[in-house]
Amino acid sequence: MITFSFMVILPLLLHVSITMVMKNIFIQSLDKIPYEIWVFPGIVLTIASMSMYSIIYRDMFDLRIHKKSFLPMTLTPFTKTQLILGFLITSIIETTVYVLIAMGVLTILLPNSLDWSDYFIIPIFAFLYSFILGNIIITFSVLTDRVSTYIFTSVTMFLVIVFGSGILVEFEFYPKTIGIILSNLPLSMILTSLRGIIFFNRFDWTLIITPIVVAIVWTWMNGYLLKRKLRQ
Amino acid sequence: MEASITLKKVGKLIRDKTILASLTFGIERGSLVAIIGDNEAGKSMLLKVISGIEYQEFGHVYINGLDSKKRRLDIISSIGFVPHEIDLDPWLTLEQNVRFMGLMYGVDTETVNTRMIQLARELHIIPHLKKMVQDISPGIVKKGMILRALVHDPDILILDEPTAFMDAESYRHTWDLLLRLKGKKTMLYVSQSLSEVEEAHDRILVLEDGIITLDGSLDKLLGSTFDYHQFQIEFEELSEDLFQKLSKVPMVKNPSRIGNSIHFYGRERNVFFAVLNAAASAVMKDISVNKLGLQDLMDAKFARDGIH
Repeated sequence: MITFSFMVILPLLLHVSITMVMKNIFIQSLDKIPYEIWVFPGIVLTIASMSMYSIIYRDMFDLRIHKKSFLPMTLTPFTKTQLILGFLITSIIETTVYVLIAMGVLTILLPNSLDWSDYFIIPIFAFLYSFILGNIIITFSVLTDRVSTYIFTSVTMFLVIVFGSGILVEFEFYPKTIGIILSNLPLSMILTSLRGIIFFNRFDWTLIITPIVVAIVWTWMNGYLLKRKLRQ
Repeated sequence: MEASITLKKVGKLIRDKTILASLTFGIERGSLVAIIGDNEAGKSMLLKVISGIEYQEFGHVYINGLDSKKRRLDIISSIGFVPHEIDLDPWLTLEQNVRFMGLMYGVDTETVNTRMIQLARELHIIPHLKKMVQDISPGIVKKGMILRALVHDPDILILDEPTAFMDAESYRHTWDLLLRLKGKKTMLYVSQSLSEVEEAHDRILVLEDGIITLDGSLDKLLGSTFDYHQFQIEFEELSEDLFQKLSKVPMVKNPSRIGNSIHFYGRERNVFFAVLNAAASAVMKDISVNKLGLQDLMDAKFARDGIH
């Protein structure tokens, strides 16, 4: 019950503290889309990010550093990459539930609703976004042994993602070089691609394939890192 | 008899410190082997290397004839491991912990249920299965860890301090189960409780600084003590002069004092009488003579090395 309440309250909080404030500054995107509509996918992915951080902390980092049931899991007949994939899939499934509830709550607060097909497309992209973000968090979870270091890197990374992935502000507002670099990061590509599809019906395969390839390679790399870390 | 576990020149380093040094031995299928040794002797690390939690830097470990590094995925289901520290997920019930691990090993739900109930009954933990692990006492949790290690029915069971945190009743239930499994499963365990090892073993390995210094049954190991006995005499007052005088009696080995008691080892009864004669002027309160046990073997270097 507490978790469900949190799932409902979190999007409300983000709407009040981000959307309602920022729409007075930006009003609309450079392509003339009202800000609160334009930022909708970004807010949903922010909630996905928060969910992924907490789930991977709970299911992997906490179990590993506090010597709970993590080591017995590594003794089961799975490769380390398969284990990493398992952590990713379970956390993404749980995150998808957060995403769906957040979309429902945020839709109530929007002046105009999105097209019905967007409600299928956003969770698919949230899945891909969580796939990459989950890998980033898992890398920190494997390499870090102290809770303080983990929290510090997590908060830093979260802020970089929120402000550097085009979630809240378009890349055109950044200095040109920085904007180009940031827009070519895999997480930014997903958001750019998602907005392209739902606002302009523009489908760019490069922006989808690249993050998928990055996510797959990163999963394999995390498996290797875990194997090295555990000395198994 | 066929070897279940074979180590060939296994060495383990941690930051240039040798933890295990070129260990070579085999463990027969179905046997119950105890590993004892001082702290930092490398006992737990040896269990970790055999169970696959840590790889060795040198040498090979063979499980049922297969190289544990090269054929990890083939051999890993043959092993059940119970670590010393509690490592169940505290936010799940005991039953959920066991079920989860059963599923990870690919055991179907019905089989997990059957095994879990049977083992939980033997370990007397049925009433605790539905409780959250964080709400259960450590002794019960340890029994739950043994249950978890057995849920996929491994051939080899490796236990680090199997009865740690347990009361007398839990200790008995646990050993009843382990002794029932003896012969069906190869069991290797580490214990600091030497009385536990004296009660339950086919073979004892004594590890010292990463090297096996003694290997054999209790009788064989105690045979190396050449029938030494330990003697203890408690005095009303044991002065330093008297202690020194008694220590110098010929054939008194390894004398030590605890308060007003002198403790020493000797091979013949004459030693004891010689000490009694030397202490005739002092008031004695108590006298005890015991055959050497595993504790003495561990305590007294001279006994371990043998006196010729």
